[in-house]
Amino acid sequence: MGDYLQYLPPLARGAGMTVILCLIVAVAGSLLGFGIGLARASSIGVLRWISAIYTNFLRGIPLLIILLFTYFALPLLIPGAVFSQLESGAIGLTLFVSAYIAEVVRGSIESVPQGQYEAAEALGLGFFNKFRYVIVPQAMRVMVPPWVGILLAMIKDSSLVSVIGFVDLTQAGKIVGTTTMQPLLIFVFVGAVYFFICYPLGRFGRWYETRLSISLARTPDALQVLVPAISDLIGSEPSSDLGGKQ
Amino acid sequence: MISVRDLHKSFGKVEVLKGMSCEIAAQEVVCLIGPSGSGKSTFLRCLNLLESITAGSVIINGHDLRDPKLDKIVVRKDVGMVFQQFNLFPHMKVLDNVMLAPMKVGKRARGATELKARELLEKVGLSDKADAYPSALSGGQQQRVAIARALAMDPTVMLFDEPTSALDPETVGDVLEVMKRLAEEGMTMVVVSHEMGFAREVADRVIFMDEGVIVEEGKPTEMFDAPRLERTRAFLRRVS
Repeated sequence: MGDYLQYLPPLARGAGMTVILCLIVAVAGSLLGFGIGLARASSIGVLRWISAIYTNFLRGIPLLIILLFTYFALPLLIPGAVFSQLESGAIGLTLFVSAYIAEVVRGSIESVPQGQYEAAEALGLGFFNKFRYVIVPQAMRVMVPPWVGILLAMIKDSSLVSVIGFVDLTQAGKIVGTTTMQPLLIFVFVGAVYFFICYPLGRFGRWYETRLSISLARTPDALQVLVPAISDLIGSEPSSDLGGKQ
Repeated sequence: MISVRDLHKSFGKVEVLKGMSCEIAAQEVVCLIGPSGSGKSTFLRCLNLLESITAGSVIINGHDLRDPKLDKIVVRKDVGMVFQQFNLFPHMKVLDNVMLAPMKVGKRARGATELKARELLEKVGLSDKADAYPSALSGGQQQRVAIARALAMDPTVMLFDEPTSALDPETVGDVLEVMKRLAEEGMTMVVVSHEMGFAREVADRVIFMDEGVIVEEGKPTEMFDAPRLERTRAFLRRVS
């Protein structure tokens, strides 16, 4: 057992790198994806057109190719630019993830009934206020579960950055697995670490969904708050009618 | 107050309004009746720019709605609208529904706005529902909140697009009662409705529309008791 402890620091470093990379991509990809998603749903033709090309193009290319491109080709396109492996990996993953998030944002915004737009407009709300206070808060309900799903997939996809030589958790596992000649044991360990990175995000998604459904619940009394909390504790799904009706 | 001249509205190749003209005076209550598809709702939606105007002119409180330099928001502040499907914001409490526009469009202070909003909820008989979410209310209650929300911007004209058509029969009365009181207070109102009783009792003028034009108009007693045209008579026979 003691023999294996010496391999923990490189694995921990790899896990740390994976966490840093994923945090950067989660924030940058979400912001970029949100902006592009709004452009996809906008009434301005040019914005819709450009953002459609962006999402369709990026969703049609394997992540592996995007990563190779950002590492090898991007520095050639931008003279004088030097990217570290972390930066290249982050850029590639961000582009990839933002395209998927943009589609989720577009779909959820388009799911808000036309009457909500009309009511906001009839009250005199301008474009910004209409989206800020009426459309986006309602779209968030629809948006969050698939959004969290995309980020979870991204954490696991981030293992592909090992192709550009970035020593993330997977790459560290590969190295340690070869050195120890115990690849099975090491990869079981690596898999478990990925799970513990992903799990809190999944929990956060559930918590956020519950919070949103409470704010839309039929009656905001104590029972409506308690039921999801209790079902959370015993691990069952909260009953579907907690979402309230539109 | 509202002056409509030869208003045309087309959706693609389909012409819905085929030249409507009418004048609506301040404090007047006008009911629009007619078969579905006759253009009543489209006419109403043109009055607050939810639909663009194809041809003709509409002038509200001196604002020419076809003026390309027109600020839509200026007109919409002046014109309140109540929808058939209420269209309350489901993620906001009743009070916040009423306060949103005055706070964000009118840029009024929170304290004064809240006071005003609570007064309006009192007026529509729902002061005890201020902290409820719309989904906890019945249809009739939701529609009364929608009326309070539209009134919060102090409009000079209120448009009602079939305000009771989506309601259970037993909640229709409360909504009509609120509208009646509003009319008595001197609000200018344009109402698209199938509630002939309301039109007869509250309206100053009834306009019968069919196929995108005004067929006949007059005082409610004239229109309901002695319509001049056979088309009007045929329609009234069907709905009564």
